[in-house]
Amino acid sequence: MADDVMERDVSVLEKERVAPVETLRRSDEALRLPAVAPPTALPLEPPLVPQVGEQTRAVGLRAQRPDSRNHGLGLTRYIDDIALPGMLFAKIKRAGVASARIVRIDTSKAEAMPGVKAVLVGSEIPVNSFGPSLQDQPLLAAPIVRHAGDGVAAVAAVTEQIAEAAIDAIEVEYEPLPGVYDAIEALKPDSHKVHGGDTNVYASKIIKRGDVEKGFAQAYRIYEGRYYTPGIEHAPMEPFTSIADWDANGRLTVYASIGRITLARCDMSRTLGIPISRIRVIGTVVGGNFGGKNEIRHEPVLALLAKKAGRPVKGRFTRVEEFVASTIRHAFTMDYKTGVTKDGRLIARQVRMVLDGGAYCSFSETTLGKACILSTGPYEIPNSLAEGYVVYTNKTTAGSMRGFGAPQVCFAYESQMDEIARDLGIDPIEIRVRNMFREGSISSTGQVLHSVKVKESLENAVKKFGWEARS
Amino acid sequence: MNVTITVNGEVRSASVPPETTLLVLLREHFLLTGAKTGCDVGDCGACTVIVDGKAVNACLMLAGQADGRTVTTIEGLATREGLHPLQKVFEETGALQCGFCGPGVIMSSKALLDEIPNPTTAEIRNALAGNLCRCTGYQKMIEGVHEAAEMLQSTTTPATLATKTPATPALAALPQR
Repeated sequence: MADDVMERDVSVLEKERVAPVETLRRSDEALRLPAVAPPTALPLEPPLVPQVGEQTRAVGLRAQRPDSRNHGLGLTRYIDDIALPGMLFAKIKRAGVASARIVRIDTSKAEAMPGVKAVLVGSEIPVNSFGPSLQDQPLLAAPIVRHAGDGVAAVAAVTEQIAEAAIDAIEVEYEPLPGVYDAIEALKPDSHKVHGGDTNVYASKIIKRGDVEKGFAQAYRIYEGRYYTPGIEHAPMEPFTSIADWDANGRLTVYASIGRITLARCDMSRTLGIPISRIRVIGTVVGGNFGGKNEIRHEPVLALLAKKAGRPVKGRFTRVEEFVASTIRHAFTMDYKTGVTKDGRLIARQVRMVLDGGAYCSFSETTLGKACILSTGPYEIPNSLAEGYVVYTNKTTAGSMRGFGAPQVCFAYESQMDEIARDLGIDPIEIRVRNMFREGSISSTGQVLHSVKVKESLENAVKKFGWEARS
Repeated sequence: MNVTITVNGEVRSASVPPETTLLVLLREHFLLTGAKTGCDVGDCGACTVIVDGKAVNACLMLAGQADGRTVTTIEGLATREGLHPLQKVFEETGALQCGFCGPGVIMSSKALLDEIPNPTTAEIRNALAGNLCRCTGYQKMIEGVHEAAEMLQSTTTPATLATKTPATPALAALPQR
């Protein structure tokens, strides 16, 4: 009987099959999300951005940001617009003194305040240092305070007001230390050493091309000048804000408006002493960065407060903290010595610059490197020598900011070009055209340049701002 | 203390501590996060909302002071028929980059256009003096306000257009440009 059944033709039920996951995962235009998700509540006209798969012409169209629709509607969710259930607010007590040793911290009054859920001091942090190149910056100073914006203790409380009151209730006793507040002073052998050791110089760079001494010997005239640019705060509209949240398995999620997520995970892994695989960083829409949100600030502190309190913790810098406890643009002091021929050709340039790095390294090495590379300007100079140094001072830390040192040196070499032009009686545009990079020029680093458009750019600019019509 | 305000046409109340600012009331109690906390001391204007027709810094006004008043926030500008002309031109002119100052700038501009329908550049600059922006350089915003003023004065604003023709479903074909 059974044999009969087995010999019969078997019919298979006709059924539509669902594509397996592998098929769905393939890049499929129809499955991709549009560049801007349609607003859910408002049946508005479609966004004016090109949609996936659509052929558009770009030249002559107004450039539009895919996210500006939501910005204008107030629907963009920035970090401060996110709140987690049970979330606490953190505040960090700033030292307020530029150079001191912490003798005693008494957090007992703050801990006793109703609503305060956690208090943290520097000595409780597993690895109390971070930084993108040198790990010289503590999250909370312990025991040495190196600038007024250094944090000394942190509090997480149920409201921002209670946290604010609690940090005021923390008593800190300082033993004042000598300080150094000027980059040139910091170079002197007898100056206060911000990080101990024999010198405040923590990075240097030298770029040499040809022989400057020979160049100066051949020069018709030599011009010397000192140029100075101050520190600048990025002042993004959105202050530094982050939220730290642990799950029951000991994994950390940090929501932050940070530009470099992997660097942040590395720094947090190091400071917290947990593997990077246990740290998840969710980068939110950034409300202005300009280079100031490239590294962690208070995230590990928030994480430790959240761990102590067992609740998510949000920290938001005040506008004052934004100025004193974040990074700023490096202040530069630049000495330029330039030898020129009678017809205004630059034949030798020597640059010595000192960067005020503030209390910690941050992105100083990157800034120094770029400043030195670009310090001779977009001009072909056969003999050049650029020397740069970054020094520690007891001031706000200098870090990355748009251009990484390029705007500072540009101010110096272009100022000097004007001085040279005026002295030699050559038109300022003409002297630049005579010296600027051309196809095949060799830069101060020995790089052979191609696709050089400096001359065209300048000529275009001259036409547009009406140089000929000047009075 | 109890506070009752008419916000974007809706009467809403909350029981808040007396030190609560209008900004905290809107953001944390009513979850209207369009107004931003930029400086919390009245310098940057990212928190600008309209209270009884006047643009104010919500961070400087106590929730109690707003009791019984009418508040318009950025969330109350667009209607089911379409974007407010300011929102439309700000999007088109690229006046919003990181967008953090945007809601405040748009609310300040709206308060200006409600009072002066056809403002001069000087009047626009004056109205936006309390709104800081670090991305755009303000030029596109000023152009945008001029453009929005024209749109509001012409008979075919997007809102009136939309009432004549049914609203296009989202993600339909792009408008011909």
